[in-house]
Amino acid sequence: MAERNKRNIEVLQGVDRLRVEHKKVVKGCEVQIQHWEKVKGDYEALEDQLKTLPDEVSYDIMVPFGPLAFMPGKLVHTNEITVLLGDNWFAKCSAKQAQKLLEHRKKYVRSALDDLHKTTKNFEARVGFTEDLEKLSGAKGDYVDIREEVRSIEEFVSKGKQRVALKPHSKPKMEAIVKMEEEEGGEGDGGSRRGVLSEEELWARLDELEAKEKLEEEHDRHFGSADTNGNKDTTSSSSEEEKEGDGGGHHRVNGHDERSEGKMTVPHNSGQVNGTTRDREEEEDKGEEEEGNGLPTIYFSHTVEPKKVRINTGKNTMLKFSELKEQKQQAKRKKKNGTSNGHSHHGLHNITTPTDIYKLFVDVKNGEPIPRKSILKSRSRENSGCSDTSESSAADFEERRTFGRTLSHDENTCSDTSDGITEEDSPTGNPLHPIRRFEAFSCTVVEKEPIPSSIPHLTIAPPALPTIPERKLEEVAPEAPREAPKRVSKFKAARLQQK
Amino acid sequence: MAEAIQKKLQSELEKYQQMQKDVSKSMSARQKLEAQVTENNIVKEELDLLDTQNTVYKLIGPVLVKQDLEEAKATVAKRLEYINGEIQRYETLLKDMEKKSDQHREVLSSLQQEYQRAQGLAVGKV
Repeated sequence: MAERNKRNIEVLQGVDRLRVEHKKVVKGCEVQIQHWEKVKGDYEALEDQLKTLPDEVSYDIMVPFGPLAFMPGKLVHTNEITVLLGDNWFAKCSAKQAQKLLEHRKKYVRSALDDLHKTTKNFEARVGFTEDLEKLSGAKGDYVDIREEVRSIEEFVSKGKQRVALKPHSKPKMEAIVKMEEEEGGEGDGGSRRGVLSEEELWARLDELEAKEKLEEEHDRHFGSADTNGNKDTTSSSSEEEKEGDGGGHHRVNGHDERSEGKMTVPHNSGQVNGTTRDREEEEDKGEEEEGNGLPTIYFSHTVEPKKVRINTGKNTMLKFSELKEQKQQAKRKKKNGTSNGHSHHGLHNITTPTDIYKLFVDVKNGEPIPRKSILKSRSRENSGCSDTSESSAADFEERRTFGRTLSHDENTCSDTSDGITEEDSPTGNPLHPIRRFEAFSCTVVEKEPIPSSIPHLTIAPPALPTIPERKLEEVAPEAPREAPKRVSKFKAARLQQK
Repeated sequence: MAEAIQKKLQSELEKYQQMQKDVSKSMSARQKLEAQVTENNIVKEELDLLDTQNTVYKLIGPVLVKQDLEEAKATVAKRLEYINGEIQRYETLLKDMEKKSDQHREVLSSLQQEYQRAQGLAVGKV
């Protein structure tokens, strides 16, 4: 408002000045007109004089003698007139010739006068306009300023945008994506901004990815191979991520964030989400996989797939090292942070609990070059095989099952040592290695155990089918006492770890 | 810094003022010439109206000198041409002067800005 007032004032001042200038010009013109009118009058008088002068041969007149005196005299040669032509030129001519000249001059004067009149008229009109302008700016008089703000166009534009956006699933997804981005913090912001190239393209891509994800989910549920494959992809991608995104930075290609988030939202919509961040990560990992399959350059910061791991440990025995590793990493993270958000770190780098140290130094302690073996695998095998075994071992197997379950579920693992053991589980699932490992623990554990027979089950179960361990149990049974101390320690160690 | 700029500014300002004066001079001269042109035109026309019987005089100082009509006409025509040429010359001169004055004006404005900036800085410092 202040600005408007200022502007108005300025305009008023300018208009005022303009009016003043116009008036000046008009006045000047009027002065000139007066002058020329006078000249014209003079010329007319002269004309009359010229006409009457040749009537008489001579005239008696009072001749002016200087500025103050007059002298009586005669005016002769009344027809001889010396005319000043201009520019110091004179011409002697008769009265009639003089009249002609006069006429010529009068013509000139008349033209000058006409020009002046025209200019005065113009400037008078301009003055009138400026006065009107003054009235307008001053908001006086009958003039009204009509202003129309251009909001309507904006509304139309927004309406158009809304129309474009009204696709069946697009809007909620977009909102979910926005929410996810907000939840993740600044992670997805840059990528999402980059990704917002064209809404339509993104939605099409989202649809494609959703379909892919659904297919993969089905695969994961029904087929273990799919999971393994997916795990492979995740491991590769996760390893890539770890390599590239150590600092917690997220590598995103245009639109990937939105795609991944779209994928994340899909399970939300489908109702598969548990509401935990882990699930998000899982889906993101899935999205990773999918994208990895379709676009090899996509990288995600989230690497863990606890969902798959859970599924695998529950049903399948084909757990992979990377999966378990990821699981344990997630478990560690959860213990530490309480959320599974953030970059997946190598367990080696984070030493916040004793288990971490243990894990780090495991190989050193034992002097075992072989990587960790998956207890989960053995446990799961035991679980799977336990159902077919004898009653005596049933309780043990149940315990094992509980162990397995606890181990498999990162949330439930209480002791860090168990994590260490699970982490150390090798993908191959060599039964011998855990023995050695447990041997390492054996030095610390002392126990008399009624379930030495079960230990051979543990050791033998993983590689063999559920039925086979029974036979092996029988075979190993005689060997049990020998290995008892070792196995005891191992079992105990596991128990302790479980505790 | 500010003082140097101030000096520069003053010198530039003087130059510009000089230029403006020259421009105005040439403008006035041109206007005079314009008037002469009109006058001579009238004379020429009136001479055309006269015939040879009339004697034509030219005023040279306090003396009226008899002139031939034809001669007078020729003289007037020559004068007219001369005046027109002068006008042309003055016009070109005026254009150049205007260009120079514009350049000077720009320089002056830039210097003024610098000076203001320097003054502003000095004020800030103080």
